[in-house]
Amino acid sequence: MHWLLEPGLFTNDSVRTAFLLGAMVSLVSAVVGVFTVLRAQSFAGHALTDVAMAGGAGASLAGVAPLLGFLGGGVLGAGAMDAIGVLRVKGRDIATGVVLGAATGLAALFLFLVASSSAATGSTQLILFGSVFTVEASTLPYVAGLSALVLTALVFIRRPLLLSSLSSELAAVRGVRLRWVGGAFMIMLAVSVGLSSIVIGSILSTALLIGPPASALKMSSHVTKAVSIAVGLGIAATWLGIVFAYDSYYWLPAHRGLPVSFFVVFVVVIEFSFANLAYRFHARRVAPTTSARVNVEPVGGR
Amino acid sequence: MIPLRTPSAGHEIPRTSRFCRNAVVATSLVLVGVTLSSCGSPVAISSGVIRAVGAENQYANVLAQIGGRYVSVRAIVSNPNTDPHTFEVSTRVAQLISTAQLVVQNGVGYDAFMNQLESASPSSSRDVIEVQTLEGLSNNTENPHLWYKPSTMPRVARAIAVDLTKLQPGHARYFATRLSAFSKSVNSLTVAVATFKKKYEGVRVATTEPVADYLLQALGLVNVTPFRFQADVMNGIDPSPEDIAFQQGLLTHRKVRVFLYNEQVSSPVTVSLQSLAKSSGVPIVAVYETMPTPGYDYQSWMLAEIAALTRALSTSRSTVRI
Repeated sequence: MHWLLEPGLFTNDSVRTAFLLGAMVSLVSAVVGVFTVLRAQSFAGHALTDVAMAGGAGASLAGVAPLLGFLGGGVLGAGAMDAIGVLRVKGRDIATGVVLGAATGLAALFLFLVASSSAATGSTQLILFGSVFTVEASTLPYVAGLSALVLTALVFIRRPLLLSSLSSELAAVRGVRLRWVGGAFMIMLAVSVGLSSIVIGSILSTALLIGPPASALKMSSHVTKAVSIAVGLGIAATWLGIVFAYDSYYWLPAHRGLPVSFFVVFVVVIEFSFANLAYRFHARRVAPTTSARVNVEPVGGR
Repeated sequence: MIPLRTPSAGHEIPRTSRFCRNAVVATSLVLVGVTLSSCGSPVAISSGVIRAVGAENQYANVLAQIGGRYVSVRAIVSNPNTDPHTFEVSTRVAQLISTAQLVVQNGVGYDAFMNQLESASPSSSRDVIEVQTLEGLSNNTENPHLWYKPSTMPRVARAIAVDLTKLQPGHARYFATRLSAFSKSVNSLTVAVATFKKKYEGVRVATTEPVADYLLQALGLVNVTPFRFQADVMNGIDPSPEDIAFQQGLLTHRKVRVFLYNEQVSSPVTVSLQSLAKSSGVPIVAVYETMPTPGYDYQSWMLAEIAALTRALSTSRSTVRI
């Protein structure tokens, strides 16, 4: 086992914090991610990562915790996108794109100001690609609280959310308030993106949001099953990523540790490739399949 | 801001290339008769102040100490609250360099922007002293903070005196006197280093960043922080968790007697190590990339660092700000 688990892996404080953070963040990302994929809002999710990036850069400039910036940025961005009309399918990409561009511009400004007016070093790496090994253990309770909040809220609105994700017309007929449900989901998406930004960085947090759920939905069309598979795949990706990054210190004679985010995204891509292969193989054997079957639970009428 | 001198109205400046125009502006200030035969333009006479630029304020300080009233010195990097490794150039800096007659810069990639700005406004009448070249160091030199090596500045000062004399041969005596005054005051630094070394040679210390490594070496202290960690902090990449744990162990088990903290290059890792040093009872000594201002010249800055180290070792007192 020595080849996989190098000495000190379980006694290292940075690694322990990273494991705990990784587990919570992958859990939230996977659950929120399944709905994001079902709602075809991957692009909105990516735009939110850019807004989170601007928030993180702003936090770095103001000297406050990056998590605060990632969250603040994401939630503001979600509000802006909602206000511009991200819920209508027509013009949704445009609203998303406009917010994305503006946010990236702001991030550029903030990062320039950080570099030219503060003693901070490594902010670009921290904000764009994440620095999970440098996160303080004192951040854990906040991440746990926010994760619990998002998951509870999601359990609360799961039925109207699912129905509106599959057919907004049907949901409207059934009395679902689309605007509310959509807005609430955008905020959950923003929080989820903010959380994963501290693990693999704002730019890459889409990978954790979309990758495992996309793989899971290839493997099962049952929503509950897909969510649990996505959670498993997400946690596997972050944990393996952390282990590989820790081990990479021993791979090269110069003891040059490689970044966690690279390994996490690498595992996510491998998982997706396998899920895709399995899906194709299965599809060929089971003859002509119908389009993805999704079990819809009845929505409480109102 | 230095007023830009333009040749007096009586002179006809031919509209030649930008190179020629810049060269004219620059040479018009040189008293010695440097003629630019290739441009064929007249050379204006101006007052006797040499325009000098120090890429970092410690070099600017030595320039001023040698040049005295015959130089007007500007420093490019001098903000004590910023990280010089991530310095961003402005047009003001470009203008300063295009009109400078003498430039002192560090080299080893620390102030690579200087080379770019110099080649952007070429001038045959600009003297550039690069400390890396002066010290005969290769581009692969790992630690660029050359000014912390006690032997560096006396050599830089001599080179400055030579170049100033070349620019204003009439004031050769003046520059020579100031050079010897500088050398004399640097002697007290040499003495302080030797006294410290005699008493504390072999004492183990930890650092966040290689800024003061050359001084620590001269003082006989043993810096047990892996250079890999220091370089990661300097270059703004995350140190590996293995190296972070090693650093934490040095502090919690008090395997080092001083923790040197680079005030100008901070990251979440350095901040958490700083508070760990505090809670573990390892005294902290602040070190800086550029000369802390106001109140210091190069020699008194270095003496203050040595005094802070002495205080940390003799009374376990931290110096969070020198």
